[in-house]
Amino acid sequence: MDDLDPVSLAVPFFILAIVLEIVLARMGLVRANYEPKDTFTSLAMGLGSSVAGLATAGVIFAASLWVYQHRLFDIPMTAVWAWVLVFLLEDKIYYWFHRLAHERRFWWASHVNHHTSQHYNLSTALRQTWTGGVAGTWLLWLPLSLIGFPPAMVAIQKGISLVYQFWIHTEAVGKMPRWFETVFNTPSHHRVHHARNPRYLDRNYAGILIIWDRMFGTFQPELEGEPCRYGIVKNLATFNPIRVAFHEWAAIGRDLMGARSLRDAALYLFGRPGWSPDGSRETSEQIRARWAAAAGAARPSPATGAETGLTPDVRSESPA
Amino acid sequence: MPPGEDTALDQAFLIQFTGSMAAVAVLVGLAAWARIGRPAPGLDEARARDLLGEDFPEQRIDQLWIAREGKGALARSGACALVLVQVGDGYAARRLSWCQATSAMFKNGLLDIRLGEVAAPRAVLAFDNWPPADLAA
Ligand SMILES: [Zn+2]
Ligand SMILES: [Zn+2]
Repeated sequence: MDDLDPVSLAVPFFILAIVLEIVLARMGLVRANYEPKDTFTSLAMGLGSSVAGLATAGVIFAASLWVYQHRLFDIPMTAVWAWVLVFLLEDKIYYWFHRLAHERRFWWASHVNHHTSQHYNLSTALRQTWTGGVAGTWLLWLPLSLIGFPPAMVAIQKGISLVYQFWIHTEAVGKMPRWFETVFNTPSHHRVHHARNPRYLDRNYAGILIIWDRMFGTFQPELEGEPCRYGIVKNLATFNPIRVAFHEWAAIGRDLMGARSLRDAALYLFGRPGWSPDGSRETSEQIRARWAAAAGAARPSPATGAETGLTPDVRSESPA
Repeated sequence: MPPGEDTALDQAFLIQFTGSMAAVAVLVGLAAWARIGRPAPGLDEARARDLLGEDFPEQRIDQLWIAREGKGALARSGACALVLVQVGDGYAARRLSWCQATSAMFKNGLLDIRLGEVAAPRAVLAFDNWPPADLAA
């Protein structure tokens, strides 16, 4: 199984690509910023994530095997149509997993790790969660095995998606050809996803195909007039990987201890990140709405607003 | 699993883990050698106001003090203190009560503010004196 794992196979390529990005940036040939402490944290998170993954991999694979035993159809791993189908379905599941991971605090507590860097380079791609297995989002992929895709096939497709998402964590690539930007997730689209600018918050959840964001109303192009500022709404003041891995879980724990009702406890756990009973904190939606109102007020007329790129671009949420 | 296979697996894991640690060390060393962080010239008042404005756009700044060498800043905003602390070549901002800022430990020219978060345990800012001499009543 390990021989077929695209992620394990790609590790040497990851390392070489990071070396290349650093050296080319040093020579002034590409755009990339690396801060050594930040790089250490990203790589330590990646290493820790693969160790933590070993602990839960067995349970996850056993669960998908069990579900597969109760499958509805027999899907051959050798058919091209089966690979096309698993590619599309897996990528759509990834979109909804990723959206859930941003919009509900319990899953955000695990995923936030990936967003804690104020940098955006290939090492950021390896800044992965340690608590993904515990967060249980892997359950979202089980229906694929229930339909009848062999668990190994699903695991390979998940790996392909992860490997694809490595190369897009770079500032070295500006924009890809237009047709590519229309269909695929790209460095430009994913830079927006990692940005903390109000306009860019909680946008572009795509794995490989950006079409899901376009379909479900969460797409936001990168604007020339608005450079991405990377990180999270409240940036971390530490490089300690242990703190990075567990800070949001600890914050949830503290909130739960102080919760005054079951409803508050439930919303602290499963509400939007930034929810609080007294409204003293802000969710991404509230930040964006406040920004949009301010940008709207600052805008003399719609025409000039569009030119300066200040037009609020608030899209309605699609039904979840 | 036959006996022996278990230890072989452990050994393979150990080799892989050690190799990965070495790769991490090499890459971090390379990043340090390259010196390609963001230029961080130290804060001046305008930059500190900009950065605080990103995190607290609606918070009026009454007074602002820049830490020595521009490595952080502290602002008074009514009953609140806004803290800007340098993190590598970036910054993190936090809001706390003004009381927390005035009662923070000040020793050897360093103001040590406990932020009380796992994500941001403390902010250490270098000032010549604290509370500042020009603090408005
Ligand atoms: Zn994300
Ligand atoms: Zn990413």
